Amino acid sequence: MNLFAYTIIAGIMYGVFFGLVGLGLNIIFGVMRMINLAHGDVIMLGSFLAYWLYELLGFNPLLVVPVAVAVFFLVGFPLYYALVPRLLRSKDPEMLSFILFFGVSQVIEAVIIFAFGNNQRSIPFNVFGSAGFDIFGQRFPIAWLVTTLVALAAFGFIYWYLQHTRMGYATRAVMANRDEAMISGIDVNRISAVVFCMGLALASIAGIFSFFIIGASYPSMGPELTTVSFAIIVLGSLGNPLGTILGGLIYGVAIMFMQSYFSSWANILPYVLLIAVMLFKPEGLIGKAARSA
Amino acid sequence: MSRLKALFIVIASAILVFAAVPSFAKKAPKVITIGTLYASSGPFATSSTPQYEGLKFWVSQVNKEGGVFVKAFNKKIPVKLVAYDDQSKTATAGMLYNQLITRDHVDMLAADFGSVLTSVAVPLAKVHKVMLFDQTGTAAKFFTPDNPYVVLCSLPTSGKWPYALADFMIAKKIPRVAILYASNDFDQSQAVTLHDKLVKAGIKPVYYQAVPTSTSNYSVLIHSIQATKPDAVIEFGFPNNDIAFLQGLQASGVKFKMVFTIFPGQLFELLEKNVGAKALYYTYTYPTPPLLKYEKVDLGMGLSQFEQAFKKETGKEVNFLNVAGYNTGLIMQKTLETAPKFDQLAFRKAVTGFSGKLMTLDGKFEVDANGAQVGEMLPVAQFVPKGVGGIEMHIVYPPNMKTAEAVYPAP
Repeated sequence: MNLFAYTIIAGIMYGVFFGLVGLGLNIIFGVMRMINLAHGDVIMLGSFLAYWLYELLGFNPLLVVPVAVAVFFLVGFPLYYALVPRLLRSKDPEMLSFILFFGVSQVIEAVIIFAFGNNQRSIPFNVFGSAGFDIFGQRFPIAWLVTTLVALAAFGFIYWYLQHTRMGYATRAVMANRDEAMISGIDVNRISAVVFCMGLALASIAGIFSFFIIGASYPSMGPELTTVSFAIIVLGSLGNPLGTILGGLIYGVAIMFMQSYFSSWANILPYVLLIAVMLFKPEGLIGKAARSA
Repeated sequence: MSRLKALFIVIASAILVFAAVPSFAKKAPKVITIGTLYASSGPFATSSTPQYEGLKFWVSQVNKEGGVFVKAFNKKIPVKLVAYDDQSKTATAGMLYNQLITRDHVDMLAADFGSVLTSVAVPLAKVHKVMLFDQTGTAAKFFTPDNPYVVLCSLPTSGKWPYALADFMIAKKIPRVAILYASNDFDQSQAVTLHDKLVKAGIKPVYYQAVPTSTSNYSVLIHSIQATKPDAVIEFGFPNNDIAFLQGLQASGVKFKMVFTIFPGQLFELLEKNVGAKALYYTYTYPTPPLLKYEKVDLGMGLSQFEQAFKKETGKEVNFLNVAGYNTGLIMQKTLETAPKFDQLAFRKAVTGFSGKLMTLDGKFEVDANGAQVGEMLPVAQFVPKGVGGIEMHIVYPPNMKTAEAVYPAP
């Protein structure tokens, strides 16, 4: 019974983090209809930023969050205007975006290896204090709680942005129909640029806290994270950012249950779920209702 | 008639001369070309890159002395290393090994790190009849009687690694053992050996599970293991698995009487940097050089000399994989120094000839009839606290190598 309770709670926290991992990818897809194959590499960049700020200046990971948001907004705007408008003018932007972001992913990985080498890097778990915390009689590291709260705050922010700000309304309009949004006078390019930067910033935040959930960070960790993120957003709903939290929760709880009771098969599960969703509910578990919201 | 007779005598003499000194029949090459692969990215990069650096260091050392002595040509010849990046991908590695053999016409082949990236080289070396110096690919299936073209330079085949570990636990009469392993050849073969040896001794593991090699979060697994109340927990994985496992263990606050993982003994600095010295206290491992010190050697540098020279040249501290790469170079060097002919089977015969008689900084080099390393053995070591925040390693088994008693159960 103890193990069962531990598995559920750990799965929820693990899932909330993976919801955050997928969130940036999903908002970019929702607005631009492009899959950012360099998404996992941006997570890796976030983790490297956190590692070096911790190593060199003793920055607590929580303090790295505003730094990462600022850095990725600064980098994101020129990157967006250099790449995305050209892609959108092409005949097949979705396919071209696959190829282009794959290239970006390879470049990021190569540059990081060149600059820092291949080795794994970690921030100690006790950076937030060595005491654990108890939930329903189960003890968890404090770093997990902080990570979960940061992920929930990120979801809260995205919800507030989409539901309660003028730019959020415009973003939802672009998500619903890009052409109609443009006709109705929305500056689609500006919205896309902001959302692109927001996606990168969210990915970098996931990277900052990745040490505490998925262990050490290393330059080639990106592609696997991109694949998992993709599975999660399809589970929740492709193009619906808030569906990502559901995808993450299902992924997290399922993988923890598999680890507890059928550990050899644990990593197959997300992809089995992905296939099942594609076959029986291809719009995602909460796709339709949320997308028309 | 006499002219014909004279001509016949000249031709026969020439044939006899060439037959008598076949080693000089071939013209000596300007360089000895050694082909190898390394992974600059992907899951094996952490291990492959230092191994490659060790091999490059050997090349630079022999070339500083005018090259390697080649007995077949009775002279020193410089060494040229041709290396390509396989990015940890077996498909790329297969293509590049093939390229090294068929396009670059290398004289000898050194495999990339580990069994996964070596697995594609073994059949290619056999088909093309080129000697493969397997650096750290320890899967037993590589070494078969029908393939004389492979030799394992460092470490015994992985199935033999846990011999001392199993004996240690049997001697300690540890009744409840949990074994968690990553599902790949390297870790699975160790898990199977350990499991079978324990069962034979009447100890049935209370937990025996595989996890995907890509597993990066062990929290729930640690709690599953804890539920079985083990007296010892053995985790077999690659470096990423060991880091994640030790981090998870530290974060969970769960304590076991004994914890064993593989890579703290091979990549101590990396593990210490990622999990901290405290997480390694009382952890058991297989110690390898530089944690094991072999100073009396027959060829190349002893460990301390190597540590100094390597640091001077590269600016880096030595880890086991640097030693393994350098050791591969030494085995190749000894092969060229002793093979009477410059051909691949002569190289293999030369290896058999010095097997069991060569001591390097990596230990005793000895291979069985199939080319598998049997000279080196892996003892059991334990990390213990030293002073404030420090750490040191003690060899705790076998008795003839023991430097201290094991601290069991861990406090």
